[in-house]
Amino acid sequence: MSNKSHGSVVEFESVTRSFGSITALRDFSLVLHPGELISLLGPSGCGKTTALRILAGIDKDHTGLVKIDGKPMTNVGANKRNIGMVFQAYSLFPNMTALENVGYGLRVRGVDSTARGKKAKDLLELVGLGEQSNRRPTELSGGQQQRVALARALAIEPRVLLLDEPLSALDAQVRSQLREEIRRIQTTLGITTLFVTHDQEEAMTISDRVGVMNKGNLEQIDAPSNLYNKPLTPFVAGFVGLTNYIQGFMESKSEVQVLNQLLDISDHSPSLKKGEEVRVLVRPESISITKASSGATVLTKSFLGPMTRIGLDAGLKELIYAEVPSKEAKKFDTGDHVKISIGTDSVMVESV
Amino acid sequence: MRKLSKFNIFTLIFAAFFFIAPLLGAFGYALRGVNGAGHSLVNFRWIFQQQGFYTNLGVSLRLAAVTALLVMVLMVPTVVFLHLGGKRWRRLIEFVCLVPIVVPVVSLAIGAQISMPKWLQSTPYELCFFYVIVSMPYVYRAVDIGLQSISLSTLVEASQSLGASGLTTLRLVIVPAIRSAVTGALFISIALSLGEYALASLLHFNTFPTWVTNVSQENILGSIALSVSTLIGAWVVLLLIVFLPKIRSLRKVSVNV
Repeated sequence: MSNKSHGSVVEFESVTRSFGSITALRDFSLVLHPGELISLLGPSGCGKTTALRILAGIDKDHTGLVKIDGKPMTNVGANKRNIGMVFQAYSLFPNMTALENVGYGLRVRGVDSTARGKKAKDLLELVGLGEQSNRRPTELSGGQQQRVALARALAIEPRVLLLDEPLSALDAQVRSQLREEIRRIQTTLGITTLFVTHDQEEAMTISDRVGVMNKGNLEQIDAPSNLYNKPLTPFVAGFVGLTNYIQGFMESKSEVQVLNQLLDISDHSPSLKKGEEVRVLVRPESISITKASSGATVLTKSFLGPMTRIGLDAGLKELIYAEVPSKEAKKFDTGDHVKISIGTDSVMVESV
Repeated sequence: MRKLSKFNIFTLIFAAFFFIAPLLGAFGYALRGVNGAGHSLVNFRWIFQQQGFYTNLGVSLRLAAVTALLVMVLMVPTVVFLHLGGKRWRRLIEFVCLVPIVVPVVSLAIGAQISMPKWLQSTPYELCFFYVIVSMPYVYRAVDIGLQSISLSTLVEASQSLGASGLTTLRLVIVPAIRSAVTGALFISIALSLGEYALASLLHFNTFPTWVTNVSQENILGSIALSVSTLIGAWVVLLLIVFLPKIRSLRKVSVNV
């Protein structure tokens, strides 16, 4: 089953979709390479599900072009696109058993009952539900239902697999388990996959590339590590991972003054004027602290495993968070005074 | 299974008594022998000896079957459409479905008769369209409630993404998913068409109810036996509608296992 050639090339070309005066998707362009898993990440209403529904053919009121393997999908109905889809809501057919649900796509394609029964059984084995094949959806847990839905989507040997927040209704443990299973199966079968989620951990752990969306725009699409370390916009920096927003002002066109520290931002400075007030976006791990007789005060300590997050009161409206190795964090107690140093690697600035 | 409270049991017994007592009384009457003496099945035998029994019963059963088919073909897709994309039409359709309740049968018969094509006016199957109109308010509600109980749009989208056409989705997913609501709708339309008298009489068609009215005037005990038999017959038909799909699905499961 490990045939990477199953995956298709998917292209969105300047796709725009509006609902009345609201533009849900604006000039959206994206290419999914064969066998690639791309996640669209963003807050509710950012347009990620709209993009997925347009690709599925469920939503056809859009401008721009969607192509699969170079062929425009404009006049191809949802039932002719050969796209497997797993929905956020439980979508199993209530009148059918798990086996019948998985075999449904083959049944409408006229595959005889013996062949589709065998294939459905194999796929249920693949998702670990071989024993539950004769159960109806009401007799399955949420996680099991989504596994069956995944097997059902895979049964038609789809060119593209679409996952619309399939894990959001599940509890944390089942979620992480199923997430890994989806990735395993997707990699084994080599199906081009578009995964929609608002959970950044989910997107970062499962994807080859992650696209961050905001108000209908694709802000940045990149490998998860690049997205985190080299965000291109303040929105991406703020949305992916924890970010401190610290008040500062431009000392010059390439330097910013923040917490009595002068930072060189010539690599990623937008066009800001000297003296302009700005917000400086700093990752917690880019902040280092040293004991001092005065300065910021340690207010909170949260143990995160190898790292500890320390909340610092530096006399600003909000706390500044620093993440330091847990061994080092032992040196600091709440109430201690510390000196804050900001590394320049992943600093961004935006005008207030 | 939920345990019944004392109040519920009392209500159930009271309701059962309310329905069963007159039936038992009628059944007792119907079992009286010649000239009201002794007990025999003579009154039940009398029914089958009357001319037109089988013909008119056949006509009514056929009308009920065609009505049920028309109701399903017209109403289920319409209500599904209202739920999926036609929400703005909902109020209008709801209003149209309520009209048959407030329009008197005479007006309905005369008004709708004019709009029927000539070739249809000469066959009793014309009545089917009237029966569809009369059962619309009840069928609409039954199907509407059934559809509200499922995630219709998700199921339709899932079915479409798996390659099914709209018709296949309706046949294999939607109708089975709301089977009890559809059965209820069938139940109503069949019961209405089997028992409808006024329209058939006004339009001068011979159906089972009009035949019952005619022959009842000749033999009072026979007419009671006829009423009891009709009621039991209608129950049998309706029970078959409820239980046949269940028996079929049980057999299907046992074959699969």
